[in-house]
Amino acid sequence: MKKIKDFINKADIRRFRFWLQLFFFVLFIYGGYFAINLGNSIPVFSCGYDKEVGGMCYFLPLQHQLARPLDVLFSVASISVLIGFVTFLLWFIVFNKAWCGYACPLGTMQDWLTGLRKKMGIRFSTYTQPQFDKLKKIKYLMLALVIFAPIGVGMGILGGEWRTAFCEICPGRMITPLFVGDVSQWSLDFSTKTAMILTSLGLIFTGLFVVGSFIKKRFFCFFCPMSAMHYIFSDAALLKLKKDGDKCTKCGDCYNVCDMQIKDIADDVKSTNILRDDCIFCMKCVAACPEDDALHVDILNMKLFTSTKGGFAKRMEMDRLEKKND
Amino acid sequence: MTEHKIETPKERLNRHKAMEASAVLEKIKHDYKEPPRAMEYFYDLYERVHCKHESLHSDKAKVGTMCIQVPSEIIYALDAVPLRLCNGFYTDDEIGSDFLPSKSCPLVKATVGQFVSNNFSDKPDVIISPTTCDQKAKSGAIIESMGFSVYDMEFPRTKESHESREYWRRSVRKFTKDLSENLNTKLSKKKLKESIQKIGYAQHLYHKLNILRKNTASPILGKDMFLVTNAFFFDKIDSWIDAMKKLLEECEEMVEAKVNAASKMSPRIVYTGSPPIFPNLKIPLLIELCDAIIVADETCSSNRMFNDMVSVDEWFINDMIDSIADRYLKGCTCPIFTKNDDRKRRILDLVKDYKADGVVYQAFAGCQVYEMEQRSVLEAMQKAGVPILYIESDYSPSQSGQLTTRIEAFVESLKNRKRRQQ
Repeated sequence: MKKIKDFINKADIRRFRFWLQLFFFVLFIYGGYFAINLGNSIPVFSCGYDKEVGGMCYFLPLQHQLARPLDVLFSVASISVLIGFVTFLLWFIVFNKAWCGYACPLGTMQDWLTGLRKKMGIRFSTYTQPQFDKLKKIKYLMLALVIFAPIGVGMGILGGEWRTAFCEICPGRMITPLFVGDVSQWSLDFSTKTAMILTSLGLIFTGLFVVGSFIKKRFFCFFCPMSAMHYIFSDAALLKLKKDGDKCTKCGDCYNVCDMQIKDIADDVKSTNILRDDCIFCMKCVAACPEDDALHVDILNMKLFTSTKGGFAKRMEMDRLEKKND
Repeated sequence: MTEHKIETPKERLNRHKAMEASAVLEKIKHDYKEPPRAMEYFYDLYERVHCKHESLHSDKAKVGTMCIQVPSEIIYALDAVPLRLCNGFYTDDEIGSDFLPSKSCPLVKATVGQFVSNNFSDKPDVIISPTTCDQKAKSGAIIESMGFSVYDMEFPRTKESHESREYWRRSVRKFTKDLSENLNTKLSKKKLKESIQKIGYAQHLYHKLNILRKNTASPILGKDMFLVTNAFFFDKIDSWIDAMKKLLEECEEMVEAKVNAASKMSPRIVYTGSPPIFPNLKIPLLIELCDAIIVADETCSSNRMFNDMVSVDEWFINDMIDSIADRYLKGCTCPIFTKNDDRKRRILDLVKDYKADGVVYQAFAGCQVYEMEQRSVLEAMQKAGVPILYIESDYSPSQSGQLTTRIEAFVESLKNRKRRQQ
């Protein structure tokens, strides 16, 4: 048992993550070809506009469901809405935000862009803390759009083109179908003024997505309404990111590797549950922490992966000496 | 007939320092239970450098550092050697007294004293003064006025804020650029990565040895550990690593064989406060002569110097420099910072982790920041039920009678407490 634990704690989490991400990418983008479909309540951006999707992002059905006239929405007919929601929750509750770090195709693509940038020897950019604090609110505005725009349609306040307003501007709609050779989403919808604005925003955001995530690690996750939605339910999840403040020296190693620039991970020594709304649960912080047990990933209060001095030294290649240069 | 030669003042000084060093070395070697054989390397090293004034780095550019905040990773990557200037000699302390107020910290006085006498086995080419405490910052200017080249590396005094992180990162970037110009060496990505990993490896070895001290039968006394870490101030890093590896192997065997460096009832002590620096190991030596054992410490001449490690996400020069900067600021528990919550947390964690029976807090008389933090640390320890002894000391050899009595009494009380608990 001790050996298994030691093996996990010393694991090369980057490689593990790379392959798992690739697996999920293939599953979600090409699942249709293998007759796999995990349903339409998946807590990641695997876009429903992709015809071969192996499991659909929950936001498209959610928006359709919420756009029903109010009397229908609050009737027995909405039992299906509830079932969809419960399914989403069940998926989410097991893995928590690890969906973002390990399964989301849009997240994976961003990591690939990061990899490309790294290969080209270009350094990433960061936000300053005040910028960060302001920008992080955007994802809640996006979530509000996901929820209230279709309700507005159902109530008859907004036009029908608002039904899936978020999907219109989501880069996932344009990018994921590309991988099965479908370029039909790359067009502007001139049917109404609103549709035109929304689809142009979609194009702009797609451009931003590509450029942004090339220069900034996980650029889009910062604005992702799915991330906001996850956070609302994350307390109920089985997988947890925990911190033991007594053991933390605030050295900032975890903050340094954090793609999402979460300051609390290093500076907060009071919280035991250290999962923040921006977190993508990639576990890089745990892998980069040089203090035994200061950060750990728990499932049902059992330590699954924990920070260790030995694991740190191994991953940083500090457990051996390659070359002498004195 | 042999020619009679009158000793020059510099020679006399060297003789005094050598006498001071060898007296302490003799004590360390012979007054305690037999040390691990691998300690021989370190005893010999101190003798070579401090008694025989042997130079270790004649072929390299030497960068003197006034505090642990100056990143060694960068200095090594620029093909130079960092030499820590924090000094522990009473002889130098006395000389420095003429240049600083009489109530200044002996460590700072001794450091300045060494520059006054211009007496180095390896003389630094440039001196880096991170503007940490007031006395260090001001003494940088005093040393500069003596004709040495001093570089002020600006260090923030608050570490929680985003601004301080950015400020220090900028300081480190500027330092890197300026030092590289000064030494006329270009910093390469490869070299920086290598030096981060090499120091990381040295730290890794230190941690592994430290963990062995958690055993009920700890294989090594604190006085030896202080010698090992102090040697990192000036030794060739590769030789230090080799010696450390041997020591580690031997200590691992000792743990296996359940060899105890102390005795069964020896109280376990966590040491904190002003740094013991060779040859001023007065308090650690007294503690362990009184049959206690130092199992962990929170001082900048040992644990604090090695504890936090650099972690890098993308191995680009600027990334590495930022990561290095963070390691020297964020994890630091120096009392110069506005708050001392981190230091209290650290001491408590060490007490728990190393199953210590008590804490000894040394403050050099005149080291205001340690003196000022004393009360809050005492309070925190009392709250946690950890016995603590506060000692004010200096470099003079005259005090030891009174100190011995106090330490003996403290150790006795810890022993009684231990007996009662059993």
